[in-house]
Amino acid sequence: MTVVQGDAHVVEVAAAGPYRRVRLRIPPIAARLRPGQFAMADLGGALRAPWLPSDADAEELDVLLPSDGRAVPPPGGVVNLLGPLGRPLDMPAPPARLLLVADDRRLPALLLAARRALAAGCPVSLLLSAPSAAALYPLAALPPALEVHLVTADGSAGRAGSPLELLTGGPSPLLSWADRLLAATDPALYPALAQAVRATRLRPPAGYAQALYLPTVVCGVGACGGCAVPAGSGYRRACSDGPFFDLLELEAV
Amino acid sequence: MSVSLHGSKSDLSLRNPLLVAAGCAGLGTEYRGLLDVQSLGALVVGPVTMRARAGAAPPRAVPLPGGLLLHTGLDNPGLSVVLRRCARAWARTPTAVIFHLAATTPGEVAAAGLRLSGVDALVAVELGLPDGADPDEVAALVGAARSALTLPLLVRLPLSSAVWLAEAAVEGGADALTVGAPPRGSAVHEGRFVTGRLYGPLVHPLALRALRQVAGSVKVPLIGCGGVYSTADARAFLQAGAVAVQVDAALWRDPAGVGRMAQELAAAPA
Repeated sequence: MTVVQGDAHVVEVAAAGPYRRVRLRIPPIAARLRPGQFAMADLGGALRAPWLPSDADAEELDVLLPSDGRAVPPPGGVVNLLGPLGRPLDMPAPPARLLLVADDRRLPALLLAARRALAAGCPVSLLLSAPSAAALYPLAALPPALEVHLVTADGSAGRAGSPLELLTGGPSPLLSWADRLLAATDPALYPALAQAVRATRLRPPAGYAQALYLPTVVCGVGACGGCAVPAGSGYRRACSDGPFFDLLELEAV
Repeated sequence: MSVSLHGSKSDLSLRNPLLVAAGCAGLGTEYRGLLDVQSLGALVVGPVTMRARAGAAPPRAVPLPGGLLLHTGLDNPGLSVVLRRCARAWARTPTAVIFHLAATTPGEVAAAGLRLSGVDALVAVELGLPDGADPDEVAALVGAARSALTLPLLVRLPLSSAVWLAEAAVEGGADALTVGAPPRGSAVHEGRFVTGRLYGPLVHPLALRALRQVAGSVKVPLIGCGGVYSTADARAFLQAGAVAVQVDAALWRDPAGVGRMAQELAAAPA
């Protein structure tokens, strides 16, 4: 996989609930980027910021950034990017049913996979959790074919509670429905999620459940050893071996 | 501009005074296509230990204002695996390759030195010293490497004790000294203390001061290392008496910029 460093031209910056949607034009990265991969943006700090695009076509990519995060140039400006980086997700093929489990902060990391799976003809459901309705990405901006199950801690949207309450405590209809699972939540929830998978699937195949684990990334290319993730019997690098890992290998997180 | 390090066993000539420091470019292939390797004087690959190490438990990297703290715990698959995986790639690398060996014991250093002397793709070995080593330990480690190696030997001194250890390294047989390994620091990250090496522009004044002090105490070629983010930073080391400069964390931020820096130094070193 060829990694490119180049200037992305900012095409559009638009508010999207608690996010800013930034559209960037950089064909050499956008055309090659696959679900699960990321780019590293130079925003002027000591470290580049890892961006997992929420959408991409042959020329442009979209990123959803927190409204209160680091400043990005306005339309007409440029952001220097390194990418695509990381290992592409092993995407399901139709008629496989894909379940996404995400919290409000990490939802953008799953949206490119959701769009590509839907375009390929896979049914996709999303279990989305947030502290409150105000933290939610606008549901109208999600792909229309995506089935959304909402959980908020304060009950201001969807069901009140935590996402684990829908997935644990016995066989889960959502997990039973799914042929594949993609998760992007607080890694502290992964052991319980892995336990729920094992309770529902007696022998989940390798790669059945993949989960995002993205600590601070330094180089992005596997050179510095800074983004170690405890997976399996040792450490793996989020930037070159991930940032998605087999959920069942992350049980000891 | 070429650089010559006249060693006790053989000389080392580099086409450019700018090198990439150990710990930054991995084992030499990770930046393929991103870094203009051909413009560099050398890539320093590693650090590598005689035996495999799993490395430090995460978190390993802590962002700081103006820099970062990094503690990998020398995560590497060990000398034999590295040589098996990488020696052919080094032979194809369009610049000189220097191997950074992390010193453990004199016995292991000697054993590693014998192995490395037979690797045609390498032009030199840089020995990294353990933190807290005293002059006697440094002399023993460097002496073990020197007697085993047929390649030029560079020794990277810890920045905080470079002046104290420089003479011992030279007496042990170092052909050149790298000043120096990044200083150590601690930070609280997610409620836990993390201790590791500090990277960032503020390391440059520390390293420059140490290099000037070492230049006054020993007569071997010196390589400046620490906080180089611009051609002006690199030239400051050369002005202070270094024959070459290693760039470290700037590579992670801007690999293309490192290539430009090398070209600018080649065009106008001072």
